[in-house]
Amino acid sequence: MTKVFKWGFLIVLALFFVVPLLAMARFAFQSVPVALLTGETWLKGWSIDPIIAASTEPAMWTAARTSALLAVFTIILTLVLLLPLAIVTEIKAPRMRPWLTALTLLPWVVPPIALVVGVSVTFRTGAPWFLASVFSLVPFYALWAMPFTYRALDAGLQAISARTLYEAARSTGASFPTIILRVILPNMKASIVAAAALTTALVLGEFAFASLLLKETLPTFMVNFQQSQARAGLALALIILIFTALAIGIVVRTLRRRGLNVQTTGL
Amino acid sequence: MRSRQLFSQTNSDTRIGLYVAIPFVLFMGLFLIYPTVAIVGSALSPGESGFSLIGLGNALSGSYRQGFLNSTALAATTALIGGVLGLTLAAIMRSLDRPRWLHSTLDSWSAVASQLGGVPLAFAFIAAIGTQGLLTKLFGQLGIDINDFGISPTGFWGLVVVYLYFQIPLMFLVSLPALNGLRKTWREAAALMGASPTRYWLRVGIPILTPAALGGMLLLFVNSFAAYATAYVLDPGGALVPLQIRFLLQGNVISGEEDLGYAIVTWVIALLLASLFLLTYLQRRTLRWTRS
Repeated sequence: MTKVFKWGFLIVLALFFVVPLLAMARFAFQSVPVALLTGETWLKGWSIDPIIAASTEPAMWTAARTSALLAVFTIILTLVLLLPLAIVTEIKAPRMRPWLTALTLLPWVVPPIALVVGVSVTFRTGAPWFLASVFSLVPFYALWAMPFTYRALDAGLQAISARTLYEAARSTGASFPTIILRVILPNMKASIVAAAALTTALVLGEFAFASLLLKETLPTFMVNFQQSQARAGLALALIILIFTALAIGIVVRTLRRRGLNVQTTGL
Repeated sequence: MRSRQLFSQTNSDTRIGLYVAIPFVLFMGLFLIYPTVAIVGSALSPGESGFSLIGLGNALSGSYRQGFLNSTALAATTALIGGVLGLTLAAIMRSLDRPRWLHSTLDSWSAVASQLGGVPLAFAFIAAIGTQGLLTKLFGQLGIDINDFGISPTGFWGLVVVYLYFQIPLMFLVSLPALNGLRKTWREAAALMGASPTRYWLRVGIPILTPAALGGMLLLFVNSFAAYATAYVLDPGGALVPLQIRFLLQGNVISGEEDLGYAIVTWVIALLLASLFLLTYLQRRTLRWTRS
């Protein structure tokens, strides 16, 4: 491979990644239609009014609050379900580990659209009150994020060699709760934060479940809002995109610095 | 005596493990296994009339067959192109030592971009290659109508371009470990024995990379087959499987057709489950060489 080819490839790819975002920003923040865009007009009509329009929309704040609460509850549920299990599996019952690895991948086999169909078959007849609440999304978000969150927690346990730590602490006389609270958990801070941030990013962007179960979260609001106010809708989408990107980016960098190689790809 | 003590210790430890697993198993059972089994059960007994494969057959006929063909074509195309481009990107990055900042930037960016499939991404591409898009206009000035190439966000190739936005970074991320598994010493050993670089790649490099590359592409295939949000925003009436399921689910068709929805979902689950097994197998083949 010659140098020219390498750099050419990298530059074309960089353009592919950057240009759509720039086009989006231009559409959101410049009031000049594309058809009238010329050498003279391309500096005209820029303003941040669309952001103000989006942020003064009360429904946006309601949807944002719903999404934020969903993220918090999903993180809590995920940690309650997976953290004790991951720790005990690692230090007490390593034979369960392959099972857990396989089971936590299962949500990946049943895509949201399929799961929603199953849920509407089972819960709509058995427990209709459950689907009426917007927080019925929480277990499905926890499920959907599980391939990522479990791997983040597991990577944390592997990186600190939790079993060795556990045995060292036990041989110096520490009780089981002490070991968990004062040895294992403080060392897992990074991977817990990673799991939480990944969950947040996924919940803030999730569309399929919310749309199919007719719940108003930030992404479903965004789609409707964009149809009535195109530019403000795109401004909002851009802000959410940047926010999500920063969240994931910061997590990846923090983890790398700590030598944790957390896969964010589900495998 | 000692060994028996050890044994009972392990046993009680496993029991603790199983106790802690109870909430998790109940959760998985209630929210994942039970709904899934209910769908498959309904698909296998359409109209509550006992076991029958008619539903599964209907789900693969007419416009639904077209849906599967469209989704498969889209997923396969983006997996293939995204796979080749992502692998090329990883190979280029491995051969470049400098600049350093490029490595860390690209790593972080790929982790971000591989998750960006969704509503904002669809909006971004409407602004770029839609009828009023910036690029449409830019190429128009050069006298090129990109719609002539089928590139509009709602067309097949437009969807391919949009999906590549998250497929290329995903492939980059999954193929990097495999590429790093190719040790310099192997190349040197091959050179010492008189192999040309081409021969080295044909006999050593490519055979070792193949399971990883196929596994990565399979992951990309699954990733785009089940993608919903992007397709929904760009082409809500489109003939892709996830959109067809939505159509059936929301009761926009004559009643009694829910069974058809269940049958389609059953096929999707079967397809993804088969992919998962194949993927696990390919990963085991990959690990044989990348494990240090």
